This record gives sequence, C-alpha cells and structure tokens, in this order.
Amino acid sequence: MAIRILLADDHPLTRSGIAEFVKRESAFELVAEAEDGAKAWDLIVKLKPDVALLDIRMPGLDGVSVAQKVKSSSLPTAIIMLTSYDAQQYVIASLRAGAKGFVLKTVSPKELTTAINTVAKGGLYLDPEVASVMSGDQDFIPEPLSGREREVLLLAAKGLSSKEVARRLFISERTVQTHLASIYDKLGSRNKTEALLLALKYGVVTLEELLEDD
Amino acid sequence: MPIKLKEKITKTRAHFLALLLFALIIPSVAVVCVAIGGMLSQERAMEAAVSSYVQDLAESMSYHLSSDSDVWTFSMISDFTRFPFFSWGPSIPGWVALIDQEGRVIIASPGAMNIAAIWRKDLPIGKAMRVEDRQGSQYTLAVYPVKRTGGGYVVAAVSWTQLLGGLVGIVRLWPVLLICIAFFSFLAIKLLMSRLVNPLKSLVSEIDNMTLGKDVPEKISSKAVLEIESVHSALRRFAQAAVERDNLRNRYVRDIVQAQEQERMDMAREIHDGPLQDVTALVQQLHMALDDDNGETVRIRRTETIAKSVVRELRALCDELAPPWIDLGLSEALTEIAERLSQVYDVLITSDYDDDVRTVEIENDKILSLLRIIQEAVSNAVRHGNATEVHIQLTKQDNVLILEISDNGEGFDSENINHETLRVEGHRGLASMTERMSLMGGKLSINSKIGEGTVIKASLRL
Repeated sequence: MAIRILLADDHPLTRSGIAEFVKRESAFELVAEAEDGAKAWDLIVKLKPDVALLDIRMPGLDGVSVAQKVKSSSLPTAIIMLTSYDAQQYVIASLRAGAKGFVLKTVSPKELTTAINTVAKGGLYLDPEVASVMSGDQDFIPEPLSGREREVLLLAAKGLSSKEVARRLFISERTVQTHLASIYDKLGSRNKTEALLLALKYGVVTLEELLEDD
Repeated sequence: MPIKLKEKITKTRAHFLALLLFALIIPSVAVVCVAIGGMLSQERAMEAAVSSYVQDLAESMSYHLSSDSDVWTFSMISDFTRFPFFSWGPSIPGWVALIDQEGRVIIASPGAMNIAAIWRKDLPIGKAMRVEDRQGSQYTLAVYPVKRTGGGYVVAAVSWTQLLGGLVGIVRLWPVLLICIAFFSFLAIKLLMSRLVNPLKSLVSEIDNMTLGKDVPEKISSKAVLEIESVHSALRRFAQAAVERDNLRNRYVRDIVQAQEQERMDMAREIHDGPLQDVTALVQQLHMALDDDNGETVRIRRTETIAKSVVRELRALCDELAPPWIDLGLSEALTEIAERLSQVYDVLITSDYDDDVRTVEIENDKILSLLRIIQEAVSNAVRHGNATEVHIQLTKQDNVLILEISDNGEGFDSENINHETLRVEGHRGLASMTERMSLMGGKLSINSKIGEGTVIKASLRL
C-alpha cells in the first residue's frame, strides 16, 4: 500500500517540484497540497495522511506549530519538516514539536524517499547537511558513550547549564565540561546541539529520551 | 480666567516698561512742580510783605521828617537820639537813610553805606521795588520824598541777602537744581533705555531670529546690566548645547549612512563573489551539458553540486542579514549563534545559560541586539585579540538579563580607549554595541587589560 502524503509549502515553485517527485514515486500517494499552515492542519485532520511534509515558514500557522498540534491531538500522521533553514535549533525545535524528520529543500530525491520511508515506519530521519560533520562517511559508527556521558548529554541537550547539570548529577562543573569534551570527541561534533543531533542520528540516545520531561 | 481680563493683563504686560518709566518719572516731576510752586508763592508772599514794610517805613519816616522841619535845620547829627531807628535800623535786616537831592547821605542807620551803589535818580517815588547793587545783593527799597526845605528822600530798604542769608543762594540754585534734576532724570532714562530696555529688546529679537542648533549669539557688548548679561550668556550656553547636539546628530546620521553604504557594498561583494559566480558556473555547465552528448550525466551532477552551493551561500547571506531563528527564543537563538560563530572563526565557544533564562519572555528585537553584540564581541576577540576561546554566559538577576562574553585574547587598554578616534577610523564596533544596548534601555560595559583578555557585559531590563 502506498504511503499517503500531504505537502504544505507556500512557495508554488518548490511545492510543485516536490509534488512532481512524490507523484512519480509509485510507493507514494500525494493526497493533498496546502499553501499555508492552517489549511495543512485542516487537511491533516480530514485526510489523516501517513506522512506530512511541512515547510517551517508559512503564512499564518508555521510548520512547527502544525507539528505541535498534530502531536497534542495524537494524530497518526508522521511529520517531516521540509525547509530552507539549516539552523540546528530549528531541528531541535521541530523534534520537540513531534516532528520525526528534518529535511532541507535541496535534498536529493533518493534521500527524500529514504526520509519518507523511515518516518512512515516510525523512525527518525535527519538531513545529513544538518547533522553530519563526517561528510560523506555515512557508515561512521561512533565510539559508545559511557552512562555518565549519556546522562550529561541528555541534560545538556535540554538546555541546562553546566552548573545545573553538575548539581543534578552531584559532580563538579569541571567534570561536566570534561564529559562534554569527551562526548564531542566521540561523536565528532563541535557543540552541544550537534552532539545531540548526531547522538540521535546514530541511535546513541532516542528521541523519547530527549523529549522526556524532567 | 475671562478672556477680557487675560487680554488686559497681556496689554499691561506689553506696556510694562513704559508704565514703569511713567511710575518713576511722574512722582518726581510732581514733586519738582509742587516745590517750584511753593517756592514761587512763598517768594511772592515775602516780596509783598517786604514791599509793604519798606513802603510803610519810608512813608512814616518821610511824614515824620516833613512835619518836623525845625529839627532838621538845627542839626541832624546831634539830634540822633530823636530818631532811634536810625541808629538801630529797621527791625528786620535792612536800613533806612535820609539823603539829599543829589543822593548824598545825610543820616543813615548802620549798613546803609552802600546806598550810593544803589541810588539812582530814576528810582520811582513812593513805590517799593527790587534792586540789585553792584555786588549782586538784592534789596527791596522804597523812596519817599521829604517835604521841607532842602528836600531829600527817605530811603528804606530790606536786604534779601541778610534777610534770607544763605537761602538766597539756594533760591538762585533752584533753577540749577531743577535743570540738574531734569538732566539726571533724562540721563537715568537714557541709561535705563541703553542698559536695560534696549538690551532686552535686542535679546528678544536675537532669540526670535535665532535658528536653534545653528546660531550661537555673539558675546554681548558690556553695555547691558549684569542680569541681562547673565541671561544672555545662559542663552549662549543653550544655543551652544543645541549646536553641539545638532552636530552630534548630524554625525550620527552620517555614520548611519556610511554604515548602510558599507553594508550594501559588503553585501554586493558577497553576492558577486558567491552566488553570482556559482550561477554563472551553473549556466556554463548547462551549456556544456547541452552541447556534450556523452558527458551529460556528469555535467548535470556538477550543476546540481553548484546549485546546492548557491543555495547554501544565499541561505548564509539571509541568516547573516536577518537570522530567522530568533523566533525560536532567547537561549535557542544564542546557542545557534554561538555554534555558528564557533564554526565560522574556528574557535571554542562555550555557552552557559541559567535555567530561568530559558523561560524568559523577550521581544525579538532584544534577542537580535544581544545576538549582534555576541557577533561583534566574538569577531573582535578573534580578529583583534587572537582569542581561541570565548565563553558566553547568560544569567538573570531579579528582572535584569545579564550577558557576559569573555575571551582569552590579548586584550586592550579599555580605560584609555578613544572612541572618537576609533569612530573616525571606521571602527564602530564598540560604539555600536553600546548604542544598541542603550537603545534597548540596557547598559554595556567593556573591561579589558593588555594580556588579560576582554570581558563584555551587557545588562538588559526585561
């Protein structure tokens, strides 16, 4: 059975480009197109597609807000953010809003197919351009993190300061810094956000762990 | 207040100076007039009294002497006692004398020695009149003829000089005094006009004609009174301040225009060197792909790579111009900029945010300001200070957000930095950071010592 897809983007040209590709794939069925957030939300409620490709910036309701509504309404639709923005904070915000994928509009058809297939099966897909420093090295397997490092990463990923992370884990702030440096090194990241995205990508931590409240 | 009353007050105020002058002049003129009137009438009264006195005296003497002709023929000098007033004179300062037809004194009371100086043949008989001797002494005298053998005249006189003493001089001084009063009043009014009224008028017209922010009044000539001078110097200071303020504003506008032009040039260069070159290459690759039958796939793959790089460059340009991710909130935006700057400059940037900072409600323009400050600080730290590590800390105390950016660069002497020189040289970084913060109602401090890195602290009330 084909994966039923909804596409929401306010730019007609990019929308038609992506729509053309989706229609070409026999495994996909494009059930609706929307040019703004509100219409996308209405169509998701009405059609309950398997996957929704949402632009982040749209007039009225933005993509992240639509994802948030889908998440809080427990609708079965898996969300992929399809955007021009490569800011990693958008990735984090989208994931927090319940999106399962984050793909740049310059993505290749092959990658988009992988992304749609992955999220339709309940997986997580992040564009290599926003979560990859090991350029081209798709088979990179990171050195496993220690339990403490995982804890530090998860707390830091929630936006806690080093001081607060140290307080919660009953360790010194300096130790937190040491752990973070070790995490960056193992994952090949340059900062907290990237470390988190890479950890998600490599399955070192799960999305559920990240979204878990304190 | 009724309009009529208001109008009246305004009118009164308009003629205030004239009224003031009148109020000063009228009483003094009145006093002078009354004094003159008093003096004149007093003089007239005295004149009348003195005239009738001398007339009576001369008349009674003449009558007496006329009826007593025997005595005269006997001896006048030996019979002095019969006419005691000839020895004592009149009861008021003056004298009486008996003279013959030629004006020679036959008998006289003391003080009548200068009669010859007064006597004139044409003096009217039987009528008092005022004469002046050669010394300028004033007399009122009356002449009566003695009707007997030998004839002669009785002359009775009152000396004004003796009667009034020094007062005579004052009486003479009166006109002089009056002229003096008039002169000094005139002088006072003239002074009032030249030192007060005219300077005030010129001050008013100066204020009226002054273009604020352009003109500074000339130093006033020292003719005006001190109070006006101090008002004038206050005006000068005020005008000076306005001029300085305008200059400052013009300078700012010039700076802004320059900065805008600079930014446009930078942007144009970035577009020219980046996307424009790439799109040109893209077009070339497409042309070759159309011409070249064999290498089509390779060429199209190449165009795809180039197109992607165009997108990346344009995206970076957009992010630089107006970061869209400030929508995500304060700590997210700051994390994003820190991570980006870390990649751009290849330095370690650590950031720490207080937990309550994450829930802070803050406007996007404030986030943008903090972002720009971080950009400027990191850029300065790396380019001027050769820093390898930058630490960004964001804390909240009470309702004040405090952003602290510290680096391990070479630092500079922040105490002795000349902002003006930097500005003229086109380094507006520190100044614009400070201006940005003050625009947001916040404060910015820059602390640096040579060899000890730099700490920039921005505080912003929420």
